[in-house]
Amino acid sequence: MTKRILLLCVAAAALLLAAGTTASAGTTLHQPIYMPDASHVGDPALQPPPVCCVPVAPPVAGEPAPVNMAYFGGHVQVTPKIYLVFWGWGEPGAFDHTTPGMPTYDPDGAAARMTAFIKAMGGTKWAGVSTQYYETVNGQNVYIQNPSNVFGGVWYDNTDPIHDNLSGLELAQEAQRAVAHFGVTDLANSQFVIAQPQKYNEAGFNSGAGYCAWHDYTQPTTYPGVQPGISFTNMPYVLNMGSSCGENSVNSGYYAGRLDGFTIVLGHEVEETITDPGAEDVVNGQNLGGWYDYSGYENGDKCAWVGYTEGLASPSTVPGGLNNITGNDGKQYPVQSLWSNDSAGGAGYCAGAGDDVPVTG
Amino acid sequence: MRKLIAAALVSAAVALVAGTAVAAGPSVTITSPTAGQRISAHRNPYIAVAGAASFAAPAGQTTRFYLRRNGCGTSNDDPHLSVTSGSDAGDGCGLVLTSVVGAGGTVDQGASVDYPSSDGMPLTLDASRTVTGTIDLESFGITDPVAAGAGVVTVSVDMEALYQGNGVQIGSDSQSVLVTPTQTSYPVTFAIQPNGALDRADLSGIDLRVHVEGPYAFSGYIGNSGKSWVDVPSWSASFAQSVQVSLDDPSFTNPVPARLDGTSWSVAIPTPALGSHTVYARATQGFGTGAAASQSFTVTK
Repeated sequence: MTKRILLLCVAAAALLLAAGTTASAGTTLHQPIYMPDASHVGDPALQPPPVCCVPVAPPVAGEPAPVNMAYFGGHVQVTPKIYLVFWGWGEPGAFDHTTPGMPTYDPDGAAARMTAFIKAMGGTKWAGVSTQYYETVNGQNVYIQNPSNVFGGVWYDNTDPIHDNLSGLELAQEAQRAVAHFGVTDLANSQFVIAQPQKYNEAGFNSGAGYCAWHDYTQPTTYPGVQPGISFTNMPYVLNMGSSCGENSVNSGYYAGRLDGFTIVLGHEVEETITDPGAEDVVNGQNLGGWYDYSGYENGDKCAWVGYTEGLASPSTVPGGLNNITGNDGKQYPVQSLWSNDSAGGAGYCAGAGDDVPVTG
Repeated sequence: MRKLIAAALVSAAVALVAGTAVAAGPSVTITSPTAGQRISAHRNPYIAVAGAASFAAPAGQTTRFYLRRNGCGTSNDDPHLSVTSGSDAGDGCGLVLTSVVGAGGTVDQGASVDYPSSDGMPLTLDASRTVTGTIDLESFGITDPVAAGAGVVTVSVDMEALYQGNGVQIGSDSQSVLVTPTQTSYPVTFAIQPNGALDRADLSGIDLRVHVEGPYAFSGYIGNSGKSWVDVPSWSASFAQSVQVSLDDPSFTNPVPARLDGTSWSVAIPTPALGSHTVYARATQGFGTGAAASQSFTVTK
């Protein structure tokens, strides 16, 4: 029975892949892959372009988006390295407050929390969800690994001037500067998180477009003048959006849950980048994307804000809901679950956050 | 009568705030090496660096934080704790009166309200003593002093600290009060035995979460403007004291910790290369760092 389901899934994925490739041949598709905030999950403007022509309703807020993901032929990050760039956090005007005992460049502890999380996520069961996905090279499937150290490095860039209402191009340019700063040569396995301080954020985030973050892949057509092939994340200061971007969504204490959104949103983006570093780009008919479903939803999108009721009930009581995981440093980090094709007997479900459905792969 | 009470509250506030006067910062002197001392590298593979340090003596005190609110149902609500009192635009703001459960059921007034500290920090907690406070629970008055509220209302408070960048619970309490139509204001006192693990901890912030639940009877409003407060047992200065030493680097990029013995400190550092050098020392207490002292010396063969 399980084999039959798996065969059906594989067949469906192959058909969808073929359809997607045909539909997009000769065209250049692009937009960043947004992570809608908790109240804009179904916002049509924030949905990825569907791979195929089948109209699909947006996901329901608080629920997983069903249907397994397929492989679209691009690369994945087999041995991921995540580089954190805290752009302008120490520049004048980056924050409007200080906290006793905390650095002036990180008064809420957000940078420290994100850094600790990236250092601690390697080797966890949560990060291990992605090891079922692969890239195909010369006919061989090469699976994503889950090493204990995925932390590439951290850079507090207080040299390159920052300002409010940054553009996507400026973030891509900062990512390119980070490539040079860290001396990265293996772009395929590297990703760059451009984290912004409280008062200097990306324009769309500031405008209330309804997203918490996005990730993308540089191409000459979309980021002119920027080195192609850089996977990067636009990581705004999500605390500015409060509970819409996860504040107190897992941990209820005022301080204990204040930074919840940073690791939830960051975890969403870095795991999507690991499984789909090409960000669904299709350039001249060539699909650069890794893993997502026929609606364009990646492993993070399909499980975003599952179980979240804005404090009315604990999301961890829902299978696949937001929850704390234990990092490899023994500390707790709130995350969202990730889509696992293997879960629920191959039907797929949100997994890895410690509140999986009983049947997991 | 109300003015008299208000005046008394202001006086009390002044007394308590005066007790939290900022302690003098730590200071340090260097007695070894002496100014211009010449030290033979051949005879001295290590140099003894020593001196005296002075720290503020921690004294027991109580820090009073008032529950303040700048608005009610506006974007400027900003519930917070402050060591100063005053007139609050959000005085008497009600919690959410929407979740009545059945006829005669209770109202979970919601959504708890967080009052994070806006000043008075850092604070060195004395967890051997009890946190006490008063929440002024108010009932809707039809014609003062006749009120519309009736029934038992429960006030729950939960206190949390920001310690080393993490939220840590201090403790909680829950008290019930019988609301009657003959009274509009109910000072509900509470007491919290603090989490012993936080004794003498230097806190970056505290938060008081207030939750009110009871029959839907036009009650559950919280009085501000000096009528609700929490007294936190504290110390006037931190117990975390240290002296750091730095060679030829006034920015203390890689400080060397010294051994403290009362008011004396010392540390041995490897004798540096031949030539002139400057050793720097500074004292820290809690989150505060005193001015650096320095001494120049020369290393000879």
